[in-house]
Amino acid sequence: MSTAACDVLVIGGGLVGAAVAWGVARAGATVCVLDEGDDAIRASRGNFGLVWVQGKGDGMPDYAAWTRDSAGRWLELAAIIGEQDGIDVALRQPGGLEPCISEAEWVERELQVRRMHNQPGVGGNDVRMISAAEARELEPALGPEVVGASYCPHDGHVNPLFLLRGLHAGLARHGVDHRLDHWVESVRPDGDGFAVRTAHGTLRAGRVVLAAGLGNVRLGPLVGLDVPTEAERGHILVTERLDPVLSHPMGRLRQTEEGTVMIGASADRVGLDTSLDLATAAALAARARRVVPALGRARLVRSWAALRIMSPDGFPIYAESENHPGAFVVTCHSGVTLAAVHALYLAPSMLQPGFNDRYAAFHPRRFGGAEAA
Amino acid sequence: MSGARDLVIIGAGPAGLAAGAEARAHGLDPLILDEQPEPGGQIYRSVARVAQQRPADLAFLGADYAHGAELVAAATEVERRQGATVWQIGSAGRDGVREVVWSAAGTAHRVRAGAVLIASGAMERPVPIRGWTLPGVTTVGALQVALKQAAIYPAGRVVLAGQGPLLLLLVAQLAAARIPVAAVLDTQPPGRASAAAWHLPMAMVGAADTLLKGLALLRRRSTSGVPVWRHVTGLRVAGEGRVQMVRFRDNSGREVALNADLLALHEGVVPNPQLTRLVGAEHRWHPAQRCFHPVLDEWGESTAKSVFVAGDGGGILGARAAVAGGRLAALRVAERQGRLVESARDLRAQPFLARRWGERALRRFLDALYPAPDWIAAPEDEAIICRCEEITAADIRRIAGHAAGPNQAKAYLRCGMGPCQGRMCGLTVTEMIARARGVSPAVTGYLTIRPPIKPVTVDELASLAEEMTA
Repeated sequence: MSTAACDVLVIGGGLVGAAVAWGVARAGATVCVLDEGDDAIRASRGNFGLVWVQGKGDGMPDYAAWTRDSAGRWLELAAIIGEQDGIDVALRQPGGLEPCISEAEWVERELQVRRMHNQPGVGGNDVRMISAAEARELEPALGPEVVGASYCPHDGHVNPLFLLRGLHAGLARHGVDHRLDHWVESVRPDGDGFAVRTAHGTLRAGRVVLAAGLGNVRLGPLVGLDVPTEAERGHILVTERLDPVLSHPMGRLRQTEEGTVMIGASADRVGLDTSLDLATAAALAARARRVVPALGRARLVRSWAALRIMSPDGFPIYAESENHPGAFVVTCHSGVTLAAVHALYLAPSMLQPGFNDRYAAFHPRRFGGAEAA
Repeated sequence: MSGARDLVIIGAGPAGLAAGAEARAHGLDPLILDEQPEPGGQIYRSVARVAQQRPADLAFLGADYAHGAELVAAATEVERRQGATVWQIGSAGRDGVREVVWSAAGTAHRVRAGAVLIASGAMERPVPIRGWTLPGVTTVGALQVALKQAAIYPAGRVVLAGQGPLLLLLVAQLAAARIPVAAVLDTQPPGRASAAAWHLPMAMVGAADTLLKGLALLRRRSTSGVPVWRHVTGLRVAGEGRVQMVRFRDNSGREVALNADLLALHEGVVPNPQLTRLVGAEHRWHPAQRCFHPVLDEWGESTAKSVFVAGDGGGILGARAAVAGGRLAALRVAERQGRLVESARDLRAQPFLARRWGERALRRFLDALYPAPDWIAAPEDEAIICRCEEITAADIRRIAGHAAGPNQAKAYLRCGMGPCQGRMCGLTVTEMIARARGVSPAVTGYLTIRPPIKPVTVDELASLAEEMTA
């Protein structure tokens, strides 16, 4: 069938792929995005929606700084999407808290906060422990079991689905060729570019970006990139629309602009399984009502499980192939928080030399040769 | 939690009741979970109580309805929980056992099931016309349920709009009860009788008695004195705060406006997809009935391990086929559990298979006679499609061309995200996207349905945590 050519071909139309395509299209490149069908495994549809700084980057200061950068640039991204595509992504950054409901949780959290302060550059995240009284002043709905919380003034939240829609609206405005039902069979170097084969024909591009989530594991080696990621299942529960109960997002609880309350988030590794585990869901509900007792009577209308894309250390992987320059991989489990830096910084830099120098900390070589099979 | 039941049946309509009785007859220990306060399903709603307390009403509700009392009586030995709403069916274990989770009176319960029979029936096809969300607009099915269950009789200027056997039956029932109907707006497209004639001979062989009853209903409509407008199109509702007027085009294309206090819509019924989608069973698009059907074998077993479907939830065939389907599923489960040998099973299955064959022949005739009108998939821009989130047809059209399917539309617009989980908008959105993309609904697929399929409180779910860690 058809053979199309473009400057940059992005494999994956989720939050990571759409942000990268948005950024390179905005920088003037002709872009094609290959997306799967409606029933694909899509982390971007299962998102919790936090723009979250606290706790991010414990063990990798560059990631902590990168996250903080992104939270700082989010207003700019939301403004562009709002002004140019008329979509309000409901960004709110009032500061966020992570309540502790036992002394043990408090001790562990305080230790993490102190540990991260000691890492170079992380202090800028301004995370601090606050007392139960302070926490309740911020969030009167907190229950009597809450013994305190960690607090970060830069934390916020957004509607992740409207973000995805906003990015895609931007792609359409830039004339990006967005193709549905285009599962990628293979990628191979071809002359000074790449040939990407799908069931609907082969496409050619000068540069190719692997942003296929868990699909990168299969695609990476085809262009000399090792992408050691695994699926981590997370459950989320959501209530019907409620009157305002929460004014700040929490790590596992947030009230959306529409009024629904989202309850997250678990973590287990069961492969590509997005079915619901009842005991896990019940445990989430049990914790949520200990943190905010008023939620007990709220009706849950839906739950789901989605798959996070986890690298061995949990941090993003950004790299350009050494053997096949022009082939990039971008993967992370924080597609919402990092959307601003992905769209505004990372994507345009793919059109410049020196990508691996700029993002050296995120290169998969940090995992050592053992994984690089 | 104790050991697994042989069979958990969801729904106490004709399929569920028959399956329960059949399973018990072969020594199984079935449990029926039913959402309604009384058994009977939609068709035999409250039949036992009506027979006992309002025998006069049986006269106008008809002999077919009264027949439901026998079905309920035959299943009295089967353990049954009324007011029990199933909201999750867990994945099958290696032994095929699934956990069915349900709530009654605000408390959640779990039961393990060697086999699950989904007998949750059909729902009326949503008719997304402009103004259909106004108070005073209801469905023919809902009106009939109000008659049966609560003895609520419609009053004022009652207008019935749509087509199909259920609408004809209600016209006859209202006439017998001397409840006046202001008008019937028949939306059957022209030329259907000749299109359906092709299927008539087989339908005669399959279910001649039903055809005769249908003819009687048609005659009843013409002798009832109710004004009937044929081949109506362009139906929409107007009113301040509630329905006041129904507008439409008559068979010559002329605009007509009728005053109305109550409008009941009906464009046939479709399988209720929530439970079969929840378990991830494979579905197939049925172009004639314009809906998805779960893929089933002759015993009603779905592609999801240990899950059977009987009754209209597996494809619209009516109550008699539902009874047959329920019995067939129970026979298969009994044979699997070693309660009867294959030859005995097959012998016992003969009449049920024959009955279902006959009902299928009849259904092909009815599908051709009363096809869902084309406008059902092309609603006016102003029509609200998702009632929970108030998403209009225009909203959906804006994204339809670049959405892969209804799940993408749900993500972009929130349509299908409300408490009904897409029951009211799923089919319409699917067909609209399929049209915009120029593909079949088989390609776009349907909404992913997640637990709980009916809302439960945080407290109810949390109570299971204590139980499951204890």
